[in-house]
Amino acid sequence: MERKYMSRRLLSLHNLVIGYNEPLSKPISAKVNEGEIIAVLGPSGIGKTTLMRTIAGVVMPLEGSYALSVDAKGGLGYIPQNLGLIRHATVAHNVSLGAGVRMKWSFSMYGERREKTLDALKILGIEDKASEPVRRLSGGQQRRVATARTLAQRPQLILADEFLSELDDANAKAVMDAVQPLVAKGASLIMVEHHADHAIKYASRIWELIDGTFTDTPIEEWVKRMRSLHYFQGGEEE
Amino acid sequence: MKFRLYLIIGGLTGIALAILGDLVGGDWGRFTGGFENLYVFFTESMWPPDWSVLEARSYPVCESNVELFCSVGYIGMMETLKIAFVSTILGFIGAILLSPLAARNLQSVRISIPVRILLSFVRSLPSLIWAIIFVIVIGFGPLAGVLAMTFYTVGYLGKLQYETFEGMQSGPLEAGRAMGLSKSSITLNIVVPENSNHLLSQMIFMFEYNVRHGTVIGIVGAGGVGYYINNYLKFLQYDKVFALLLLIFVVVIIIDLISLLARSFVNEQGDVRKPSWLNLLLKLTKSKNPDEQQPSSE
Repeated sequence: MERKYMSRRLLSLHNLVIGYNEPLSKPISAKVNEGEIIAVLGPSGIGKTTLMRTIAGVVMPLEGSYALSVDAKGGLGYIPQNLGLIRHATVAHNVSLGAGVRMKWSFSMYGERREKTLDALKILGIEDKASEPVRRLSGGQQRRVATARTLAQRPQLILADEFLSELDDANAKAVMDAVQPLVAKGASLIMVEHHADHAIKYASRIWELIDGTFTDTPIEEWVKRMRSLHYFQGGEEE
Repeated sequence: MKFRLYLIIGGLTGIALAILGDLVGGDWGRFTGGFENLYVFFTESMWPPDWSVLEARSYPVCESNVELFCSVGYIGMMETLKIAFVSTILGFIGAILLSPLAARNLQSVRISIPVRILLSFVRSLPSLIWAIIFVIVIGFGPLAGVLAMTFYTVGYLGKLQYETFEGMQSGPLEAGRAMGLSKSSITLNIVVPENSNHLLSQMIFMFEYNVRHGTVIGIVGAGGVGYYINNYLKFLQYDKVFALLLLIFVVVIIIDLISLLARSFVNEQGDVRKPSWLNLLLKLTKSKNPDEQQPSSE
């Protein structure tokens, strides 16, 4: 289903086959436009992370191709499953990496970078942790640091692996509230999820990988299908 | 499974013993006689250590108020420490510039292999050989020692560093690459801070290594406490040699303690507040008191 408004295309996948040595999927074709939130669902070990890593440019696709139309510097934000934070560096250092990636060197750059870093930390509510090494923070706080790093970077496309999976509802809401303004400005988010309720709450489309088959479904349709499946299996409707 | 493991260990030990037998050439008597020789050598020549090495030398005349500052032990040890310090710092700078180029997860094979070969070449000559080369090239003295140690440090530390970089988690690198950071920025802002704990500990290890090897390179005339050890060896003054060796031992232990303290700032262990010995002893005495069963909250 096409979106109602015309928006720029950020990512196109053309018959992409993902995997390391053996293919993990049949050819995947999909498109991502500006301002979309996509949840990638599927059982463990099916290739969701590999798909993320392939789009992030870390793993080469086995077949097919993909086209990213984002800035080469800072256009793509990637939060890996283990967050990819520098554990021995401070929170501020980690976030300032994101803040500084799009800046060209100048004397005023350091002040600007500092400001952007502080803004991102404030949005995520971790400004009091700025000078702490990341390793001392809890899992939820580290997730906020990774989000702050991406927020400070202001990328056009965010790839987030297991973005909300380990978070409780309050933390998940805080993280999503921080990301929503970016999405409103035209950025897109592709997140790997384990909880269908998070996906239903935030995503506009669902990418499903089941037994190597990829499906791309608008959220309304997906919810309808899930409900009918639930109904036919004798479950109760929500 | 266990039987196979024992068989492998037994087999390897057997092979090692057979090779040793071949090297010794059947003359095992030398081996047993060795202990006796060591005992005689230690009790008659080395013990007790002659601590006159910590007294002022008769010449040149001591101008300091503290006698120790004019002693052979102090002057030699300070020179060794200076050589070790300068060469560790210079060597560390050389190594940290080269090692990111040698790490296969940071550079392409076309760059990493030649840099690895360069580091292997520098490392393959022991610091003693480097010292001999530099003594020939620039003459006796501490400068030859500094250059020799610096070269060796670059080779040795470079290998330790690139192996550390290769062993790091890929997550931060992947995030940095996807972000669009340049290779130099990834090295400077991600790789170095993430491995700071290892880099620091390797650098202090190298400093300690250079202090210990300062004694060896001194023997070929490259300065430091080794120069005096060599002099005493020539005059068969083993008790003085032993005193200097004990001095080196104490310095190495002190460096080890400093290393422990320095690393606690950058590793997880430093985050845990450990009870001091005093607190522990206080707790032990407290727990003997039956009224106070609860351990203190500290």
